[in-house]
Amino acid sequence: MQFSSSARAAEENFDYLFKIILIGDSNVGKTCVVRHFTSGVYAETQQNTIGVDFTVRALEINGKKVKMQVWDTAGQERFRTITQSYYRSAHAAIIAYDLTRRSTFESVPHWIHEIEKYGAANLVIMLIGNKCDMWEKRHVLFEDACTLAEKYGLLAVLETSAKESKNIDEVFVLMARELMARHSLPLYGEGPLGSLPLDSSPVLTAPGPREKSQCTC
Amino acid sequence: MDNSLDNSLPTEFDVIVIGTGLPESILAAACSRSGQRVLHLDSRSYYGGNWASFSFSGLLSWLKEYQQNSDIGEESTAAWQDMIHETEEGITLCKKDETIQHTEVFCYASQDMEDNIEETDDLQKNPSCVASSTLIKPLDSACLSEEMHSLYVSSYEVPAKGTPENNGEVTDIAEILVKEEYCGYKTYKHRVSDGAKDEIKPILEDNSDPPKRNRITYSQIVEEGRRFNIDLVSKLLYSQGLLIDLLIKSNVSRYAEFKNVTRILAFREGKVEQVPCSRADIFNSKELTMVEKRMLMKFLTFCLDYEQHPDEYQAFTQCSFSEYLKTKKLTPSLQHFVLHSIAMMSESSCTTIEGLKATKNFLQCLGRFGNTPFLFPLYGQGEIPQCFCRMCAVFGGIYCLRHKVQCLVVDKESGRCKAIIDHLGQRINAKYFIVEDSYLSEETCSNVQYKQISRAVLITDQSILKTDSDQQISILIVPPVEPGACAVRVTELCSSTMTCMKDTCLVHLTCSSSKTAREDLESVVKKLFTPYAETEIDKEELAKPRLLWALYFNMRDSSGVSRSSYNGLPSNVYVCTGPDCGLGNEHAVKQAETLFNEIFPSEEFCPPPPNPEDVFFDGDDKQPEPLGANTIIIAQPESSEGSKNLESSEKHLQN
Repeated sequence: MQFSSSARAAEENFDYLFKIILIGDSNVGKTCVVRHFTSGVYAETQQNTIGVDFTVRALEINGKKVKMQVWDTAGQERFRTITQSYYRSAHAAIIAYDLTRRSTFESVPHWIHEIEKYGAANLVIMLIGNKCDMWEKRHVLFEDACTLAEKYGLLAVLETSAKESKNIDEVFVLMARELMARHSLPLYGEGPLGSLPLDSSPVLTAPGPREKSQCTC
Repeated sequence: MDNSLDNSLPTEFDVIVIGTGLPESILAAACSRSGQRVLHLDSRSYYGGNWASFSFSGLLSWLKEYQQNSDIGEESTAAWQDMIHETEEGITLCKKDETIQHTEVFCYASQDMEDNIEETDDLQKNPSCVASSTLIKPLDSACLSEEMHSLYVSSYEVPAKGTPENNGEVTDIAEILVKEEYCGYKTYKHRVSDGAKDEIKPILEDNSDPPKRNRITYSQIVEEGRRFNIDLVSKLLYSQGLLIDLLIKSNVSRYAEFKNVTRILAFREGKVEQVPCSRADIFNSKELTMVEKRMLMKFLTFCLDYEQHPDEYQAFTQCSFSEYLKTKKLTPSLQHFVLHSIAMMSESSCTTIEGLKATKNFLQCLGRFGNTPFLFPLYGQGEIPQCFCRMCAVFGGIYCLRHKVQCLVVDKESGRCKAIIDHLGQRINAKYFIVEDSYLSEETCSNVQYKQISRAVLITDQSILKTDSDQQISILIVPPVEPGACAVRVTELCSSTMTCMKDTCLVHLTCSSSKTAREDLESVVKKLFTPYAETEIDKEELAKPRLLWALYFNMRDSSGVSRSSYNGLPSNVYVCTGPDCGLGNEHAVKQAETLFNEIFPSEEFCPPPPNPEDVFFDGDDKQPEPLGANTIIIAQPESSEGSKNLESSEKHLQN
């Protein structure tokens, strides 16, 4: 049980509410991505967000009201001290790296491992390569990201730019659709093993100078 | 991958908190919430100190750390002396944690399965842990301990035969497959009781006799080790207690989920029985006679407002509570229930007033969230300090684990602490310092007397009181056999609390120590459980749950130590104690609030934060969405893990 004081919650009718956590190394633009998604604003210099646990945006998909609650790391990724409870009740995770900094991409397996350790078993994971507006400084090939996504069975890889509003909404809409599909399957978890929808096919999308949308691994 | 670790730490803070146990974490959150710049450090690789919870492999690593018990870190302390000025002096901090003693491990589960199970070593194989040790110069103590540790891993023979390889890539499918296999062993009928929607269980034909019980092997425990969240301190939350109130007030509750303790049990004449305590329980009880029901109802109703009826107890204020109960027209079994299970005042020294007060407190906690007065946090007690740490971080607090502090720097003239010097030789300044007492050196603590807590952790194959549902959370007080000894508190957790694997129970035993933990607790363990054995056992023994694995240890209880007993601590260094022996968390919360008010007398303690959904950023043209943050709505139950959310929202609606 949770001690929500949400008498308000009962009043509004949402068909789905999903908790999505955002992780990845420091300064890869996580907060910019969320901020852009929830408010459509990009700020060049990002102050540490004080006092904000998560941000919310409502989407309408296939006539259903979907509420996306996006949680930020509160800076605890900096010294790798994210609390376990951050992962606990998440339905999905978005791992972000900065495609101009190789090291942030190399940390991705670490973050996947953390999710496996503390998250729910069927958590949906998506990978985003941020700052694709700076493609001329690119240090991570989209192909490498695809290979990694395939290796770990991630849902998708998208290259994004909070600055140029590229692929931000797409990330969350794709995530919302996948979560809706998984959470509306009848008798989920009851049927024989084969019916578990763990094998949803990855959709890999890259925008930018080289047209590379819908690369299916 | 170490890119993020290049970030150097700022060197100016308002408050530095050392230790991530519950009181320190609450304080860190409170300070950060009131606008202070907080640095929160822990020398260990995990949150919580002695308040932590561990996976099975994590617990084994923790044990090894204490069992090796060597003087690590005596070297390389030269650095700090060069860092301080002539007008300053250093107070060194403790290099070795001595709060845990007498650890003993017993494995009863069969170990004869193929030994190809890989063991994940959470504490040591954590990539970030390795990363931090490589950052430090080879001579550094942390690095040494790291090496010694891995040496120890390979020679540690008790149960671990697998290679300590990292198997973090076990896929979900593999786990599910394994689970399915376990189900196949079962030959008795599972009935899913009304409320238990936690897991869908296969129902198999009950056609074999004698009934065979499911067999859990040691390798299965290791393989499913991630499912365990084993608390070092066993506590519950009183549903009207200080911690619940604080969690709700500060909104930290949004980071955690809870389950109600489902049963209060009693142990009388060698048998475990359920104690009816709510009105409904008493009414529905099959064990109590009509007369007993009336007696108990009458007595409990009186206890709820006993202050209004002084004539009922005034003559007995000098008596013990147990003597008083004898005068109240209660049958012996009812006296037992009230004394041990409701008032939980087994000690013969408990007075009538204390007993009445405790009974009233128990009754007042009933019904707020369910049929018993207690709540248990999903994933274990160790979540709670972390939730406060998250709150601290959300308000700008900076976190560093695996970060040792060499000394406090004191200004000779003012006598105040100015800074700390960390293991990297970095000097970090602050105005206030909050230190958990296990970090204080022997010299600082030379006059301090400690108590001890005796603890046992058991993994068993079934509940101590079987019912239709195997998803029960129970608390049992076993009264002392001889007068003067301590009662033993037993908490039994089921797999839906996310603290143990399916088809096992996790049992915590706690009492205040008179001897070593095993000497204090073994007799109770023997009364309630029987060791797992392959061979046939007689019928009476068969009825008892079987022990698969057991751990005993003593933990230092510093809760009674007064600030004045420490030598030479500056006035702006505040000390937090480790866990106390009590059932609730009242001591930790009170301590945090008292210290906070001492440091910042004019600030409010953990006021509610703004609702994240009411926070707007510049240029936000969207309408606010007036929806509470916490209720997770899921259209369909997804799996055993997801269903808790559904259940929780249902429960929420009921309240």
